[in-house]
Amino acid sequence: MENLLNSMVSAAHGLTVQSARLRVSSENIANADTPGYHRKILTFSEAMSGTDGTLPVPGSVTFSRGELERIFQPEHPLADAEGYYDGTNVELMVEIADAREAQRSYEANLRMLDQSRQMASGFLELLRR
Amino acid sequence: MRLDIAILELSDALASYAGLRQGVIAENIANADTPGYKARDVLPFAKAYADRPAIAFVPQATRAGHLFDEARGAQNFRLTEAHAPGVANPNGNTVGIEDQMLRATHLKLQHDLALGVYTKSLSILRAGLGRR
Repeated sequence: MENLLNSMVSAAHGLTVQSARLRVSSENIANADTPGYHRKILTFSEAMSGTDGTLPVPGSVTFSRGELERIFQPEHPLADAEGYYDGTNVELMVEIADAREAQRSYEANLRMLDQSRQMASGFLELLRR
Repeated sequence: MRLDIAILELSDALASYAGLRQGVIAENIANADTPGYKARDVLPFAKAYADRPAIAFVPQATRAGHLFDEARGAQNFRLTEAHAPGVANPNGNTVGIEDQMLRATHLKLQHDLALGVYTKSLSILRAGLGRR
């Protein structure tokens, strides 16, 4: 029974970390056209688990150091002397792929949580007889 | 009172094996995107159960808490690194979600089998006692 509770804790950690990742990804997509916006990256850090292993927890959010896109638009209020202004370094393709991966992992964690719950209720069913 | 019924012990061991395995697989899936994480699994049940400490002489406790009997319950399940071939990521992660799902389904079947056998044995015992 203790293992089943531990497995629910593991699945909950997985759900937390994947949803944090999805949040960061959607923030990036929301800012895909904000001038001067740097893509946010979520790092994972580690917590101890019940079986001497490690579990992921959302770590710090860092900014991508990639080059900002230079956009030529002389009439733009932010344009410099040459007519360019800084766009973002958000790549929609990368964000969507990242969000899809997070979603897939989230679903897998949810299934594990559901399965742990079913197994635990199977045990409790034994006591009801 | 203690009932020494082999089939109950066996299904007890299988159920706790499946419980442990569920914990390990859930941990693997939680780490599905952690760079460098190595997927783990428990050694197969048949092997773990065969290797359990032999119980030649088990002292009986007259009161709960006098002796804690660690030999019972086949708690010597060992973890090992295990993953399907070809699922390793370039970042060193060896968790394949499909592979882990397969293992999860397998352990759920093992768990259902253990609980099913346990329930059935109990109802046979009840029938032997003349109850239903």
